[in-house]
Amino acid sequence: MQRLILWLSSHPLVVIAATLLLSFAAALCLIDPRDASLRLKVDPSLERLLPTQDDDRALFDRVRAQFGETDPVLLAVGFDNVYTPDSIEKIDALTRKLGEIEGVRQVMSIANVANPVADDFGIDLSTFATQARVHPERVKDFPAQVNDNPIYRNALVSADGKVAAFALSLNGVDENRFRREHYTDRIRSLAGEVTGSDTVWITGSPVIMAETTNAILRAQKFTIPAIFGLVVLLLYIGFRSVRAVLLSTLTIGLALLWTMASAVLMDLPLNLVTALVPPLVTTLCLSYAVHLLAEFYERHHQDGGALRLERVFRRMGVSLLLSGGTTIAGFMALVPGSLPAVAQFAGLSALGVAFSVLLTLVFLPAILTYAGPKRPLRILGDAMMARKARKLALFDLKWRNWIITFAVLLIPIDLYFASNIRVGTEYIKSFGPDATVRRDYEAINRVFDGANPVAVVIETYVNDALTDPALIREIEGLQKWLQAQPEVGAVVSYVDHLKLINRNLNDGDPAYYRVPTDATAVKQLLVFGGSDEIRRLIDSRFRTSMIAVRIKVDSSIQIADFVQRTEARLREMPPPLNGRVTGSPVLATRTVNEIASGQLTSLLVAFGAIWAMLALMFTSARSALLAMLPNILPVGVYFGTLGLLDISLNPTTSLIACVVLGIAVDDTIHFLARLNTDARAKGNEKAAVKSALSAVLRPVTFTMIALCLGFLIFTGSELQNQVQFGALAAFTIFVAWLADITLTPALGSKLRIVTLWDILRLDLGQSPQHTIPLLSGLSLRQARVFALMSKLEHHKVGERIIQHGDYARDIYVVIDGVLQVWVDRGGERKTLSTLQRGAVMGETGYFGQRRTANVDAQTPVRLLRFDSQDLERLRQRYPRIAAVIYRNLNRIQAERLARATAMLQ
Amino acid sequence: MGALACALAAWSSTVMADEALDSVIGCMRANIPNTVQIKEVELISTDRVGATRTLRGRLYGTREDDRLRAMMKIGSPADLAGAAYLMREKAEGDEMYVYVPALQKVRRITGAGVDGALWGTDISYGDVRQLNNAFTSGRSVLEGGGELGGRKVHHLAVTPDPAEASRFSMVKVWVDQQSCVSLRADFMEGGLVGKRLEIDPASLRQSGTHWYAGEALMTDLKEGTQTRLKVLGLSSDVNLSGRYFNPSTFYLGS
Repeated sequence: MQRLILWLSSHPLVVIAATLLLSFAAALCLIDPRDASLRLKVDPSLERLLPTQDDDRALFDRVRAQFGETDPVLLAVGFDNVYTPDSIEKIDALTRKLGEIEGVRQVMSIANVANPVADDFGIDLSTFATQARVHPERVKDFPAQVNDNPIYRNALVSADGKVAAFALSLNGVDENRFRREHYTDRIRSLAGEVTGSDTVWITGSPVIMAETTNAILRAQKFTIPAIFGLVVLLLYIGFRSVRAVLLSTLTIGLALLWTMASAVLMDLPLNLVTALVPPLVTTLCLSYAVHLLAEFYERHHQDGGALRLERVFRRMGVSLLLSGGTTIAGFMALVPGSLPAVAQFAGLSALGVAFSVLLTLVFLPAILTYAGPKRPLRILGDAMMARKARKLALFDLKWRNWIITFAVLLIPIDLYFASNIRVGTEYIKSFGPDATVRRDYEAINRVFDGANPVAVVIETYVNDALTDPALIREIEGLQKWLQAQPEVGAVVSYVDHLKLINRNLNDGDPAYYRVPTDATAVKQLLVFGGSDEIRRLIDSRFRTSMIAVRIKVDSSIQIADFVQRTEARLREMPPPLNGRVTGSPVLATRTVNEIASGQLTSLLVAFGAIWAMLALMFTSARSALLAMLPNILPVGVYFGTLGLLDISLNPTTSLIACVVLGIAVDDTIHFLARLNTDARAKGNEKAAVKSALSAVLRPVTFTMIALCLGFLIFTGSELQNQVQFGALAAFTIFVAWLADITLTPALGSKLRIVTLWDILRLDLGQSPQHTIPLLSGLSLRQARVFALMSKLEHHKVGERIIQHGDYARDIYVVIDGVLQVWVDRGGERKTLSTLQRGAVMGETGYFGQRRTANVDAQTPVRLLRFDSQDLERLRQRYPRIAAVIYRNLNRIQAERLARATAMLQ
Repeated sequence: MGALACALAAWSSTVMADEALDSVIGCMRANIPNTVQIKEVELISTDRVGATRTLRGRLYGTREDDRLRAMMKIGSPADLAGAAYLMREKAEGDEMYVYVPALQKVRRITGAGVDGALWGTDISYGDVRQLNNAFTSGRSVLEGGGELGGRKVHHLAVTPDPAEASRFSMVKVWVDQQSCVSLRADFMEGGLVGKRLEIDPASLRQSGTHWYAGEALMTDLKEGTQTRLKVLGLSSDVNLSGRYFNPSTFYLGS
């Protein structure tokens, strides 16, 4: 480590060159140089957030393969009255034009569906359009005929006869092509041109996904520049140097570039969840840069070049690595058992944090050395914040117990409110109420009594099973049950077609609108009387069928409730009928529930991982637990707020807790690390709280403001889930900051931390456990822990360490150097002994007596000083080490006593 | 289906743009027998997921006043056996009759969605009529020659008569120069191929002086389904009883 720091300090140009080279490669990964286009993919599909091997997704894919696209594009066009020859003619013309659009497989409208008219002479199976053209007088009968047909009723024409619907099935047009080639706009303008109508609504899964992609891209185009603008502004306000701002912004930009290039390399698309990564990485990297700039231009140090770099690496290394590590732990906690999209979000964010830490720690100081401002920076608010910090420290110390009690009480209250949290989301409400996509969806949903297609799949695995009248009656019963559900607008199955065929082939006699009584008749009717549409509802071997259900609800909670009820009903069907519910809304709902249900696991993993890291760094499980409290509190407040304000846990709100936990713990670490250093230097925890708070309040507040503003930029997005994410994350970060400037100092005032870094760094000379009797029997690590729990002092030549006659209760152990013990005998200096490494002195003071001699340093010396409070603290925190120290202390005392007794004899 | 069988053999034309086109159409017309009897026709439909269903039957076709009459009677599977279809091309509008054994009724179907699939296959009456009528009422253009599957072909583009109300805007046909049988037909919807009919040249057979295809494949490119048609034992210019084409009697007998 030492060698790495020295190497980095002495080779900044190599660091800069390597970084720029890697960045060039990253840019080539991210941007196609041939046409300067982004190679990053966008995938707005919610159902694809599910794992590819997922059973539900496999069923959905199977249904689509068997019955074609289950999510058509729905176009609705307003007329004064659909049922006029003129309107039907326009609808026919539009149907044809729509069918000519490349990628449109089929268009269904009132114009091109057959209007079976059966009589004694036969069946007229011509379309409504043909009938309107040939027999205009028949048009007046159309409303009754449409209403009499369960397949067409309120599906092709609205109940009031003023809106005509067109269902467009696509072929070979995925959501990316649909968006890229502006299908929504093309269909909309074509509808306007052909019909001359001003009322044109368009919805359906492809439309909503395309618009979601557009919104994601627009959000990226807005949030990333906005956050960079914020970065520049905040850095300038904070450090007042154009060059420092530009170089920091460059570092943040490179971190983002590397992250997105990694996404391209790993073939990770931007989806509703991973779209949050770029702004998140930018914001986090900004907070790291702020801490580093503060250290780089620390006014108490006027060093330069390699020395300055070495100092920055040493001082910032541990805190940035630990901050990054805990933030990564927070993200990675989202991975276990989560959906691929969340795992991708977590992985990509963790990678972004790693790049941010690396670049901030290594590249930024290196480039600042060459191109940064040479003069000390006038850091805004430094003195003012120091004054405030001292007042705050006094407040924290004075009200310590109240603050801790309040925090501890707040957690169960939050948990009470959190128990009311609902899991779910309302998909279309991701868009604002004025968004065209939402307005169109809601209009079609209202006018046609449902715009969300769901499929109930009936599988039998037996050829011709679905021609058995007994089983058909079961399906008919299921269909009636579905129709009676409050969420359902319309239900169509092959049974409807079968009954219509039976009626039509029996001269239109309404008595035959029923299922035939034998399987042979059913099969013959389906084969010889069935139209193309029937292929979308039953397979050619009559073993699998799909009941097309249109639901009018969009909330995942209502959809989940409907699915649960339907699946219970499906389980009641006799064999060989096996029913399952599928469709985009069903899968999306399942995705939402999966994400939210993994929340508790994720949080526990995050707490566990962060606690483990803190315990390792602080070498104490208890200290780590105390350090966790200021971070558990904001998470608790966050969940309590969700419950209190009736905000549901959805794919984006479920990310906040882990994200904030990972970020907020940074401030705790910064404070405790500083407190540790100052407590050791000052030998007084309360004084250390004041100085530590003075040192960290400004950067911690600055990063809090940066993070809050960064997250608040999300509120400018047109997607409500991103708005919600931004506002709630900013609120939670603010709560975490409050906890860190009040609760953390209150807890820290009685906390002596020994970090792993301290242990590794501390030099006690060669084998202290073998060469210093007080440390005998300890391991090297334990010896260093004891040293760190004590006070390590440096004294110059001639300095008086112990004054004869003083009351003092400290014991000293000589680490290195030479000391002389002497007394004044009538003005004459009488040397009693010379002490060297391993010697213990001052123990009489420890037992309540006055100092019996003077002790002066004859060479520069290093001493370990400890008193009864230190030993008590050691006993509580590290009882095993304390036991050995007490034993050694007794042994030393006993030996002294034995020596003294021997001298007297 | 009978119409399709005739269409597979050749198509006639009254509208000829030039002599070359006349020659091609004439050659194709020479393949049209007055009557045709197919002992067994097999239709193997394959759906989007690869599941197949097979229908077998007999097919009879004839021309009366240059207008098609075709009847197909289903022989298997057993639960569909006895069903029969009769198609009659008429000046005032085509007629279709269907006999469903379970109902024991013959129903006359008019205005049947011409593009509707026949018996769940990928072949529609509209396709058949399109192929047949395109040369009588549509506009044909000889677009030159070329090669298809190693055989020399004429390339024709046929635009249907707007009165046909077809979903297809054009049919592109590749006609084998040796047999004058169409080896491929692309049914265009806008700029895209909606359906494609393909004939394996190796399946070309001769009955008397008439060439016909023993096997054809109709693919619905939009739906991702296909139907293979196999013709076994075709006899042309044979005496066929009128009852096969009479709406009152077509379904009777074996």
